[in-house]
Amino acid sequence: MTSMCRAGSQSARWRTAAVLLLLSLMLLPSVRRMTESSMTAHMLIQYPCLMLLGALLVQELPARWVSAAQRWNELGIAGLVGSALTLAVLMVPRVLDLALVDARVEALKLIALVASGAALRLSWQRAGVVVQVFFLGNLLPMTAVVGTLYQDSAARVCNAYRLDDQQALGLALVMIAIATAALWLLQVATRRTGNDALFREP
Amino acid sequence: MLRTALSTLALALLGWWSAAWITKDFHAWTAEGARRLIVIEQPVAVPKVALAGPGLVDADLYTWLNGAGRATIVDFVYTRCPTVCTTLGSGFQQLQHALATETTDGVKLLSISFDPAHDDASSLQRYATQWRADPNRWAIATVRDADQLQGLLTAFQVVVIDDGRGGYEHNAALLVLDGRGRLVRIFDDAEFELALNYARSIAQREAGE
Repeated sequence: MTSMCRAGSQSARWRTAAVLLLLSLMLLPSVRRMTESSMTAHMLIQYPCLMLLGALLVQELPARWVSAAQRWNELGIAGLVGSALTLAVLMVPRVLDLALVDARVEALKLIALVASGAALRLSWQRAGVVVQVFFLGNLLPMTAVVGTLYQDSAARVCNAYRLDDQQALGLALVMIAIATAALWLLQVATRRTGNDALFREP
Repeated sequence: MLRTALSTLALALLGWWSAAWITKDFHAWTAEGARRLIVIEQPVAVPKVALAGPGLVDADLYTWLNGAGRATIVDFVYTRCPTVCTTLGSGFQQLQHALATETTDGVKLLSISFDPAHDDASSLQRYATQWRADPNRWAIATVRDADQLQGLLTAFQVVVIDDGRGGYEHNAALLVLDGRGRLVRIFDDAEFELALNYARSIAQREAGE
């Protein structure tokens, strides 16, 4: 038993180290230059990678901290509202341009992405169908609208990125919004639901 | 639930505040829009740059702009540019035509190439000939020292990127500079009329002072 625990905590330590290593890799200036070299990579590679690492990182935190934080996050409401707002702000085209030239904006953007990944991880399971609908119902239409604007705009919305890049990103954002909605519906439909599950996962 | 309500409210306020900050109170969604607002709030002084081009011998940009009752409409171009600079070129030609009827020396035109490696004296001269630029009204130039280019582009937030086809994409616009060497207003690259009227008004105002 003791040896199992030790093995477990040792592998946990390795896992934490691996997540931190990957996170610091993503933050290296050369990797950032690469992941920010196109508008599409910026939003579809850097954003999700940092959010994923935030989600993995939060699992490594002591359970005590997490449960203390969760007292402020019933039904995952605070976390999902925070993530939705963060992602909405980070879709403003000026953020992408400013992040390339203003170190403060870049730092805040990176922190916000990691934090919103963590918040999603902490909140998604606690939120029932109703809160999830509220979250997706805000985020997905907004993503689709932004994607449509990026595709239809004859002018570039970012000074640092090309028009063809912007249009490709726009198309991808619309498809991602549709695919996410479809996957979520499929997941709800195929799951056994009681009344209870509407507000909180069993 | 009270705690959750409080933390949600705090996050919502933080989100609102960040959105207001990044969009300049919901007026500018793009960096280009913000650049134009910022210039209105706070004119940008030109950095020290020496120009070179047909009819310009080691002209210092500040000195060139400086003069009583003078305003300058500036655009940034590269002479090989097939698309947006053609619009700018013909627009500048029309501006020159509109200015030709004026007797006063109020408004000048200046095209600055951001591609000094390619745009040597003969390329600039060819561009001037192509658009029939009158050297007394419309100067075509580039920076004399390539080292000074980035400072100028950064100060005016002119962003030049590779277009993937051997040319450049850039945030083309009409920049109005006053006689004290400050960038005071930026107009869209189709708003020639507005830019001209604005340049005339500041030239007159400065002449009156």
